[in-house]
Amino acid sequence: MALPLPPGLTPPEIAFLCEMELITIIPRQRLEGLELLGGPLKPLNPPHRTNIPLWLALLLKRQRRANIIPPPWLNTHSLTAILDHEIENEETFSPPPRLPPQPSNNTLPTSPPFLLTSTADAAPDALPYHWLELGEMLLEAASDDFEEPDNVRKLLRGLREVRMAKLRSGVDVLDSGGGFKMNGVGGMEVGEGRSFITGVIDGLRLDRKIAASREQQRKDRDREELENGYSGTAGDYDDDEMDMQ
Amino acid sequence: MDIDDLLAEVAVDSTPQETRDLQELTRCWVAERVAPEILPWPKDLMDSVLERIQRQIELVEDQTGNMEPKTNFKLIIIQTELERFKFLVRSFLRARIKKIDAHPLHIKTQHAASLDTLYPLLSSTEHQYLTSHQSLLSSHYSSSFLGQFPASLQRLDDTTGGISMVDKPEEDKAVFVRALRDVGEVFVEGTDRKFEIKRGDVWVVRWSAIRQWAVGTGTGDVELI
Repeated sequence: MALPLPPGLTPPEIAFLCEMELITIIPRQRLEGLELLGGPLKPLNPPHRTNIPLWLALLLKRQRRANIIPPPWLNTHSLTAILDHEIENEETFSPPPRLPPQPSNNTLPTSPPFLLTSTADAAPDALPYHWLELGEMLLEAASDDFEEPDNVRKLLRGLREVRMAKLRSGVDVLDSGGGFKMNGVGGMEVGEGRSFITGVIDGLRLDRKIAASREQQRKDRDREELENGYSGTAGDYDDDEMDMQ
Repeated sequence: MDIDDLLAEVAVDSTPQETRDLQELTRCWVAERVAPEILPWPKDLMDSVLERIQRQIELVEDQTGNMEPKTNFKLIIIQTELERFKFLVRSFLRARIKKIDAHPLHIKTQHAASLDTLYPLLSSTEHQYLTSHQSLLSSHYSSSFLGQFPASLQRLDDTTGGISMVDKPEEDKAVFVRALRDVGEVFVEGTDRKFEIKRGDVWVVRWSAIRQWAVGTGTGDVELI
């Protein structure tokens, strides 16, 4: 009954999250409004565009009841510009989309996958959090709604490789204290890098803890020896220990 | 603040409660899957989500007999969404049960200490599960081997000798967080590391250093991802 999975989201779970992203469609059939658990669904009236969650868009697309409008960042022009930026800046990921204004009252700010970063009027110049998953899913299910699906696919692969290399090279700066900024990282990239990155940080921390306790032990022993008048041999002990390490 | 900002603010306020609940449930699910320790039970949220799921199930049962194609397709959409919600709730609960099973005694004391607060750590059914599971286990242990030990060695929560038998989750584990609001300066205890977290930032930090700002355990300025 308990979940047999380690901490962190698995790739299918990240894809599940991504399916909550809102996406713009052009319906081909009428559909009355529906009261869904996640809020009301507006009536679909062809040919008026509307924003619906990705899971529903994929369902309608598969049954040829709608066409999907790919988000403005998911075309060859935008992706080429973003890829150039990624290659020029070796250290950091390309910046994420501009944040919406902060709500003034006490409600919690929204965050991906509910940010409207992949609808038809989203920003064309930045990769949203679920860029990879969303791109792959749309290319898989709705490649006929793209102008150049093969080139888009190629660019996505290029972006993925450049960014994975950054993720890997970032390991050099990891240390036991944590505190490692990763702005612009994507959902699937977090999922892939999580066990490795947190594993390195946690491993280094445990290592230091053991080293610290060893140091403490040695201090205690040295002090004891000093008090007992065996200070002369302490040096030999240390040499032995160094050899063993 | 320009007109776009004002419009966007109105849009946030007009988000239906159902949608906001979905956003919150999603956030809770991710947090529970990622956090090293169990988070307080989001009672109000779960009460309303479970009630709505129940109502939706009744609706589906009511209309399944209707074979008219149009209604039928609507029903498919409703059922697909229902399954997605059920997955979220189930995965959330199972992630919690996993933590309860891993550190039962520690969570039991923590839950007892949290009873006076607004949000106790466990739901009543989780607490029931924890206590009955533990009593089954301890009676099994004592009948199979503990009973033959000297009385002083029979305890499962012994703390003599400076070492506690009660296992605890690793609180210093590194987690990925995203700042929902400006947090300010964060200080990692035991190191000389300090850094500033701004709205929208993604950081890898120790859970113990960020817990006081996390959604569920603190001010809600950062969320786990």
